[in-house]
Amino acid sequence: MPVNGQRALHGAHLVMGLVIWSLWFVALYGSLSVVCSLAPPAIEAGPLNWLNAGLLVITLLTTGLLGVAAWRCWQLSPDKQANNFPLGRFMGRLAAAIYLLSAVSTLAVGLPVLVLPPCI
Amino acid sequence: MSNPGATEPRELHRRLQAIWANLPGFGTLSAVNHTSIGRRFMVTGAFFFLVGGLLAMLIRTQLALPEQDIVGAHLYNQLFTMHGTVMMFLFAIPILEGFAIYMVPKLIGARDLVFPRISSLGYYCYLFGGMIILFSLFFGVAPDSGWFMYTPLSGSEFSPGPGSDVWLLGVTFVEISALAAGVELTVSILRSRSQGMTLRHMPILCWYLLAMSLMIVFGFPPLILASILLEIERATGLIFFEVAGGGDPILWQHLFWLFGHPEVYIIFLPAAGIVSTVLPVFAQRPIVGYRWLVLAIILTGFISFGLWVHHMFTVGIPHLAQAFFSVASMLVAIPTGIQIFAWLATLWTGRVIFSLPMLWIFGFLVIFVAGGLTGVMLALAPFNWQVHDTHFVVAHMHYVLVGGMFFPLIAGLYYWLPQLTGRMPSDLLGKTGFWLTFLGFNGTFLVMHLTGLLGMPRRVYTYASGTGWEWTNLVSSLGGFVMAAGVAMIILDVALHFRYGQRAPRNPWNADTLEWATAMPPAPYNFASLAPLPTRHPLWDNPELGESMAQGQHGLTSTGHGRRETYGSDAVTGRILHIIHLPTNSWWPLAAALSLAVVFMGLLLRIYPLALVGVGVTAVFVLRWSWENGVHPNAAPLNVSEPEDYPLHSRTQDGPGLWGMVVALMANGTLYLSLLFGWFYLWTVAPLWTLPPENPLSLAPLLLSGVLLTLAVIGYQQLVTGLRRRRGRPLKRQLWWVTGLGLGHFLLLLWVLVSAPLEGTVRAHDAVLTVMLYYLLIHSGTGVVLTALQGLRVGYGYVSHNLPYETIVLRPFWLYTLGIYWLGLAAFVLLPMAWGGG
Repeated sequence: MPVNGQRALHGAHLVMGLVIWSLWFVALYGSLSVVCSLAPPAIEAGPLNWLNAGLLVITLLTTGLLGVAAWRCWQLSPDKQANNFPLGRFMGRLAAAIYLLSAVSTLAVGLPVLVLPPCI
Repeated sequence: MSNPGATEPRELHRRLQAIWANLPGFGTLSAVNHTSIGRRFMVTGAFFFLVGGLLAMLIRTQLALPEQDIVGAHLYNQLFTMHGTVMMFLFAIPILEGFAIYMVPKLIGARDLVFPRISSLGYYCYLFGGMIILFSLFFGVAPDSGWFMYTPLSGSEFSPGPGSDVWLLGVTFVEISALAAGVELTVSILRSRSQGMTLRHMPILCWYLLAMSLMIVFGFPPLILASILLEIERATGLIFFEVAGGGDPILWQHLFWLFGHPEVYIIFLPAAGIVSTVLPVFAQRPIVGYRWLVLAIILTGFISFGLWVHHMFTVGIPHLAQAFFSVASMLVAIPTGIQIFAWLATLWTGRVIFSLPMLWIFGFLVIFVAGGLTGVMLALAPFNWQVHDTHFVVAHMHYVLVGGMFFPLIAGLYYWLPQLTGRMPSDLLGKTGFWLTFLGFNGTFLVMHLTGLLGMPRRVYTYASGTGWEWTNLVSSLGGFVMAAGVAMIILDVALHFRYGQRAPRNPWNADTLEWATAMPPAPYNFASLAPLPTRHPLWDNPELGESMAQGQHGLTSTGHGRRETYGSDAVTGRILHIIHLPTNSWWPLAAALSLAVVFMGLLLRIYPLALVGVGVTAVFVLRWSWENGVHPNAAPLNVSEPEDYPLHSRTQDGPGLWGMVVALMANGTLYLSLLFGWFYLWTVAPLWTLPPENPLSLAPLLLSGVLLTLAVIGYQQLVTGLRRRRGRPLKRQLWWVTGLGLGHFLLLLWVLVSAPLEGTVRAHDAVLTVMLYYLLIHSGTGVVLTALQGLRVGYGYVSHNLPYETIVLRPFWLYTLGIYWLGLAAFVLLPMAWGGG
């Protein structure tokens, strides 16, 4: 959306990071529940099993994606001194913070796969 | 947009009053204006608060001493169930909806919400649904399974009376109003802000209310679905929650808490918005960290949906899954912490005036922070197991809800009372009310933590002597009555202020936000002229703004057309795009709500023909209501003067109706996804889930029906493409083609349903499949009727290549119908076939 001849980030960026977090959360909990019902890994393996490994990979990929998005938004938001475009700066910085905190949330919620067995 | 000297101010107000006023006498029941509807919501909510409070007093009387039998176990079960139900569904949510309905247009410089008739319908659904629930108490058939209605206790085997039906049907009726408000507030905040109010300039309260509205849109559908399924199970025996037939009672818990936990934040966020609005005014400086607060609001809105399982830590979920939800539960403390630090920093750097509203804000800060800390304790699974189902949880919940919602609400009441009525409350009565409430509340609930830690379970109607719970319960009961005295003092203060309160000066607190620019009490049109608002603090930047708006020195002052109008703007930049013409007083919302009441009463009394008649009558009312849109003579006919600066929204291709449709479909989609979740949950988790030996549905007709639907949607897409270019083939013929194809699809699908040997009372598989088929049929049928109606409107000249708006609004509905059909076919039919069953 052009404003003062410049483009602000699309409003969807204000929620996109957390939408991705939500989809990841559903995938995490859903796949854990389904696998534990249908083909649970051996209990003796503890947290070192293919299910936890898969959940960790998804978690790290999602965290990385969100981190990159945060960095891109930060880069795209206009500098305070460089030009007078407060709406663009507001949207860019806010979106960057949301992507970043979504990444932190993803990592924080996903890390228990390192220490806990999945199906007990 | 300045319009100086167009009309003499007094004459302008007289004309606007004539256009916007409610009808006199009983005609006021046809009012759709947001100020009237908001007030009605709030007054009704306050009434239900008193009812809920009375029930609480009865509970505390019963528990004051051990081994009492004042109310008995059966009535006690009804009392605590009704207390929770009334407070959550009939007080907390509706009063905040009413507050939002009242405030939003005044904050964003608009004259009304964008769907005023929906506001009115919502209010009547709330009123009638609330009356159904309330009257059950007087007939001795109130629900008694707890406010979260866990199955199997709430099922027909253990609750054979009508109590559970009252809850399921009454609450669902009330939830129509919540969803209506959610959709309407979302679109109004995004699309009707005044010129120049970018997202960056939006009052912080609007961010909170926007988050609340969207959370309602996504949070309520799971409970609506759960209520529908449980009511069907109770009424017809179709299996969803009974283990024996492949159902699972834990499914209810999932669906309930998918709603229930966000619900806490749906209540908390607007209350926090009140704090973020009131506190800076009395600190005499802008809020610290506006952008941080917006970040916190958005984070809370999402993360609060990822916590629901922490209400279910004791049902046997794997430890790893509990850890996910435990961490998420702790994460939500971060945005709450951001807000608290922003408030403290604002106080720290401001020059605080210790007035009556601020007293309630300080009370909130103390109580809510304490409640938040016990919340973090409960997020830890091992501690949660220890105190589950004890009075510790009851105490925590009240610290969060009363501290987090009731205290800010009363702060808001005292803050905005002069705006509502034009009079000031009594400082002495108000302060007495605060201290009695604050001390009484802590007397009741602080000690209740100890009662819980000593092991007293919730929901027991009495207890034996010698348990160690005697003195704590006595203190809680005494505290409860002190708190009641505090509430009585507030009521007395409000009642007396109408007569004895001093006349309030304009903007008595020196506030920054635009609602103080209205008359006190406000006129039904809020502002005589609509000013540009490129600021978060319009009245601090320009204290004379209210005067210049009242003088008609800004935009949208023409009245000769007789239309109710407000600006429609871009969601991000606040640039004016068009003028939204709004409906005037209408009886259709009341008529539709009354006929819906017939439907719900028919279902409650199990007089199903009556319910069916009610459905038909409601459909007729709603369709007739929808007829009065666009260029209809009762809306904005073509032969009346059109504005010169901006087009009327019904002459464009993008207005609030389109956004309303999309937001409503988001809610609808959440309901559908909840059904899909239920299907997969039962399939993978329910211990006795079985697939039928053969697929009960005929695949060929289903595929053919899908092909017809696809063709109909392709046809509709082509039609809309032509409309957007303002040319193309004859519109009427195309609409009738789509109607015909859609009808063919509908009839084939109906035949599949009727001819299928579904045994929903034997297998949960068939029961869920039946619900899915009805869901698809309802959508297909609605699409066909609405498209046919468009065809008729072309004949009347209400829709054409030059008036494409309504047809464009319907397009997302057809796309949605197509999406759910093929997704449903894949998930409910093809996947089980591929799995080797069904």
